[in-house]
Amino acid sequence: MNSMGAKSSKCKTITGNFADVIRGLNANHLTDQVIQRSKRMILDTLGVGLLGTSTEVCHKVTQYSKIYSSEISSTIWGHSDFRLPPLYAAFVNGVAVHSMDFDDTWHPATHPSGAVLPAVIALSEAFPQKKKISGLDLLLAFNVGIEVQGRLLRFSGEARNIPKRFHPPTVVGTMGSAAACAKLLALDRLKCKNTLAIAASYAGAPLANAATQTKPLHVGNAAKHGLEAACLASQGLQGNKQILDMESGIGAFYTDYNPQTLPTLQSYPWLLDQQDVAIKRFPAHLGTHWVADAASSVRRKLMESSGNLLPLDKIEKVILKVPEVKYVNRPSPTSEHEARHSFQFVACSALLDGSMSVQSFTSENIHRPALWELLCKTQLEHPADNTPSFESLYCEVSVTLQDGNAISDRCDTFYGHWRKPLKKEDLEEKFQSNASTVLPAEATEAIIETVYNLEKIEDCSVLSMFLSGQSARVLSEKLYFL
Amino acid sequence: MGFWRKMVWPVVARSAPEETVTSSFASFIHAVQPEHLSKTVRHRSKRMILDSIGVGLVGSTTRVFDIALRYCRELYSSVAVSSVYGKPGVKLSPTLAAFTNGVATHSMDFDDTWHPATHPSGAVLPALLAASQMLPPSTKPNGMDFLLAFNVGLEVQGRLMHFSTETHNIPKRFHPPSVVGTMGSAAATAKLLSLSMAQCTHALGIAASLAGAPMANAATQAKPLHIGNATRLGLEAALLAARGMEANPLILDDIPGCSGFSAFYGVYQPTPLSTPSDHHEFLLEKQDIAFKRFPAHLGMHWVVDAALSVRNLFINYAGSFSPSLIRTIVLKIPVSKYINRPFPSSEHQARHSFQFNACTALLDGEVGLGSFSESSIHRQELRELLDKVVVEHPEDNVANFDKMYGEVALLLHSGDVLTGKCDTFYGHWRKPLSKESLLKKFRSNASHVLPEEKIETIITMVDNLEKLSDSSQLASSL
Repeated sequence: MNSMGAKSSKCKTITGNFADVIRGLNANHLTDQVIQRSKRMILDTLGVGLLGTSTEVCHKVTQYSKIYSSEISSTIWGHSDFRLPPLYAAFVNGVAVHSMDFDDTWHPATHPSGAVLPAVIALSEAFPQKKKISGLDLLLAFNVGIEVQGRLLRFSGEARNIPKRFHPPTVVGTMGSAAACAKLLALDRLKCKNTLAIAASYAGAPLANAATQTKPLHVGNAAKHGLEAACLASQGLQGNKQILDMESGIGAFYTDYNPQTLPTLQSYPWLLDQQDVAIKRFPAHLGTHWVADAASSVRRKLMESSGNLLPLDKIEKVILKVPEVKYVNRPSPTSEHEARHSFQFVACSALLDGSMSVQSFTSENIHRPALWELLCKTQLEHPADNTPSFESLYCEVSVTLQDGNAISDRCDTFYGHWRKPLKKEDLEEKFQSNASTVLPAEATEAIIETVYNLEKIEDCSVLSMFLSGQSARVLSEKLYFL
Repeated sequence: MGFWRKMVWPVVARSAPEETVTSSFASFIHAVQPEHLSKTVRHRSKRMILDSIGVGLVGSTTRVFDIALRYCRELYSSVAVSSVYGKPGVKLSPTLAAFTNGVATHSMDFDDTWHPATHPSGAVLPALLAASQMLPPSTKPNGMDFLLAFNVGLEVQGRLMHFSTETHNIPKRFHPPSVVGTMGSAAATAKLLSLSMAQCTHALGIAASLAGAPMANAATQAKPLHIGNATRLGLEAALLAARGMEANPLILDDIPGCSGFSAFYGVYQPTPLSTPSDHHEFLLEKQDIAFKRFPAHLGMHWVVDAALSVRNLFINYAGSFSPSLIRTIVLKIPVSKYINRPFPSSEHQARHSFQFNACTALLDGEVGLGSFSESSIHRQELRELLDKVVVEHPEDNVANFDKMYGEVALLLHSGDVLTGKCDTFYGHWRKPLSKESLLKKFRSNASHVLPEEKIETIITMVDNLEKLSDSSQLASSL
């Protein structure tokens, strides 16, 4: 039976069905929980991106992107001194978001927001003057981008586990960005299909560049290429209208691929409603967050039993029980990128310092002798029951002292995981701490206000203005809500 | 309990490169010199350059090219230094010029094909043309540098394809130009820009993260983007590497549990390239390229030659080509889903249809540019012929451009059977196009958009490429 408003009678393909849903979803479909969760994601992503603009990788891509310029331009987060064409703004801001591996993570595994937000914000600035994009339009497009990613991830059993072959943001992230941009551009059904088809031909980067300086480009490119796909489709370019149906389409990236149609639009069940994201508390691979919590806890116990002093030289060995994830198993990381992808590094840092922060990954801290001494004593074990899935993995840290005593603790769910979400104050604190590295207090406050009231904002260009650091006072009249 | 190693301070600076597959590629790209190009390789690669330009020029008249160009012009205007095929007044920024020209090159599926299967030139030439115009006057590469960089781009593609046995057959999952083409473009550009060995390594690493498009967009308007993006993104990778971007230095090596370039293959066995000492044998020496005689997928060329042969027999038999005498047309072809289309409805589908190309050849006695126009595709006589086609897949007809054949049999109402078979079509590497045929194809293509003097200038320039002092002149002449 066709439910009210569903156009699924016309399409017999999954690709067509996706196009229908992208077209058909509107603001009324957004539930309160989805709105709330997605706004948290938006805020976190902006903060992480602003912080990321100061990284070396970001400087390099900015220099590169400056060789292009045009009349139409979009904001580079944290900068008022120059702008870039929308495509390159999406690219650079996307790189910024993932530059420190500080952005959100979902289940099945991907970094959903970084691939979508930079693209939709950049695109929102590229419309002709008369056309205003409201905060609600932006929020809806964002959620379409997230939803499409989640749905695609569910088409393959492989996606449940931490990846080995293709880096998920480059596969589903590109598709999500494309869908979100198609939504914002209000493309018709045919063009939505073509957007997905074209985007597929940009998707997919191998995992081996994780833990290198190139990894952030995965998210930057996902955002940029998704936007490009939507723009090309908007100009009439056509691709394979069964791109999601075929094994030689998006199926090419998986060994088991079983696409399904989306639910009908009536009371649309958003995945974000059922499954929240994890927000990171420090900039490193999600797997290390379990390690950090367990290690901090072991450190506390150690200190308690030896008069509030850490008995470093009495430590004989450190054993980490973690799942088997080759690209996060690095006994001796030498760069910040490697350190962010090292169970061992995070365990030892947390043991030394008590907690992890942005500062844990500076060059001095990566190379300090005390840390290297501890790293020498650290080894990994992979218990059979510790599956490499962000839904079910755990970490056990156990420190053995010279006298034979062993102190250990286990973390099943770190603070920030979807089972134990960050409280509002902590999310805001993370944002403030990040954003204040490049923006004045007025702008950071204004961004928080704007995102919290996003669905009421009449013209979302204010968000871009605050992102470039412009003062809220001057623009206060633009904050008038509907 | 000696399993924790004595901690060794990480050695960051290396005096001699470790012999990984990736570093051997970087060494090759960095160290190979013009002297390493043999006569055969120079000759063959110049033919490829000429054909690729011609194909790109005629491709600049297509709709897909139009869209790509409009897109690039609307979104970007500055630092417009690089020329666009067939548009003398237009310049774009280098990567977008590469993109647009790459799209032009593959827009009609008229560009060259190699074995193992890929379209090598379209992925490399546009990037080099664009880059040559980007460099300041004092450092313009000469024709020899250009020719060398072009061959580096081909060589890297060929070597990478030899890492997997899957590449020998017509592809099913990832479209090869989008996989190896991107890497070839990165390598070629790195060579032209004289990047250091470390930078060459990183160019390859960055390029890998930009490679790989699924097959499903073949036979659609989006397919030309695969070449456009391969050449553009490979160029981008080299430019980023030149600016210091770093990637995984083991990207071509086998990394268990975490895929690098191997992600695109089920079976992957990489081997190091030998550093070119006195003698390096380029793959192009042993394995030539196929040039297409008409704008369609390479597989079509076998059935067309077979169809033309049986058509002649039929005309001798019946006095003229009389379709009403034909009961069934049997095509014996290899199994390959994306080129088996009984009733194609678009030009892109028609270029990827054994049935369409066989019937067009039977009907018209030739297949050319005009065969793929809207009116040609939908004509009644052709549909009638298509209705009579059945397809067979003999076991000995493998989906492999080195081994496949095409056979067309006409089963007449009278009971007679006429057959034509083609093992090696004219233009295949076993039966290469003569110089005259290649020039004829180029002149025919280029004349769609360029005047005669310019056409002859390009021919002369490419023929004497090694002697050109400023290779950016080639790009400016387009």
